[in-house]
Amino acid sequence: MAPLIAFPVKSAPPLNLGRRFAIRAADRLAVEGWPRGSIVRGLAHGLVGCQNAITIRELPMSSTFDTIANIISETCDIPRETIKPESHAINDLGIDSLDFLDIAFAIDKAFGIKLPLEQWTQEVNDGKATTDQYFVLKNLSTRIDELVAAKGA
Amino acid sequence: MRIEYFQLIDRIVDLNLAGSTIECEATVPTTSTIFEGHFPGYPLMPGVLLIETMAQTSGWLVVAANRFERMPFLAAVKEAKLRTFITPGQVLAVNADLNYEGSGYAITEARIAVNGKTVCDASLTFRVVAFPNAEMSSQMRERAAEIGFPLETPADG
Repeated sequence: MAPLIAFPVKSAPPLNLGRRFAIRAADRLAVEGWPRGSIVRGLAHGLVGCQNAITIRELPMSSTFDTIANIISETCDIPRETIKPESHAINDLGIDSLDFLDIAFAIDKAFGIKLPLEQWTQEVNDGKATTDQYFVLKNLSTRIDELVAAKGA
Repeated sequence: MRIEYFQLIDRIVDLNLAGSTIECEATVPTTSTIFEGHFPGYPLMPGVLLIETMAQTSGWLVVAANRFERMPFLAAVKEAKLRTFITPGQVLAVNADLNYEGSGYAITEARIAVNGKTVCDASLTFRVVAFPNAEMSSQMRERAAEIGFPLETPADG
């Protein structure tokens, strides 16, 4: 069988384009009796993973934001293009603390770190920090970069 | 189990705070009004109550981890699998592991086994908050004593 999806590494499709590829590929595999839903999910995840890997390698300056934006889009079903570095996860994207917990675990897994949610929550509750410091995505990206750097130090 | 009163745990068999694990025992009653509707002529323990049984088991572990200062409320049920039918009279061994505790949430992995075979499992998320009132806290302590919660160790240790 010819390759179902082929694109040069430096021109990886954007996320939703990746989904379209996955759906088309699944349509072909479904003909051979594969369960369509799981194929779409599997391929879409694979593509997101590939894209993340490519993004991290090609664009080191923006990789953290892109990765968390993809995680948020996947976890909360928010269109990727509406997620900006300036977006506040709670106030702008409407993510509640329960969903943020899932996002935090996905971030932990993607970056090999542990977000100190307990400490952040305490700081906000005590008035020692604003939610902007942790929930505006460019700031969250910075916090993640700091944690990754601390891990490697 | 007193299903109608949502008292689904009969006994805490083991509570290991260091290992963040708990094991409880519960026997499905042979008769209950629940079985009149679920199902007529074919009584089965409802799957939602099996999930609640896992939630209550997990809950005692979270209560212990918080030394009776905070109360967990079920917030999310993930990957719940009900693998076989549970019928009146069966003895359930309910286990839970506490995988995360912090920032107002707790997450457990829980499962129920009958005769050593897993019959259901789920990942459960709880919102952990201060007891809403003194009466609830007091009632929880009473119930804890009834099911063999080792009050001394978690409260003072």
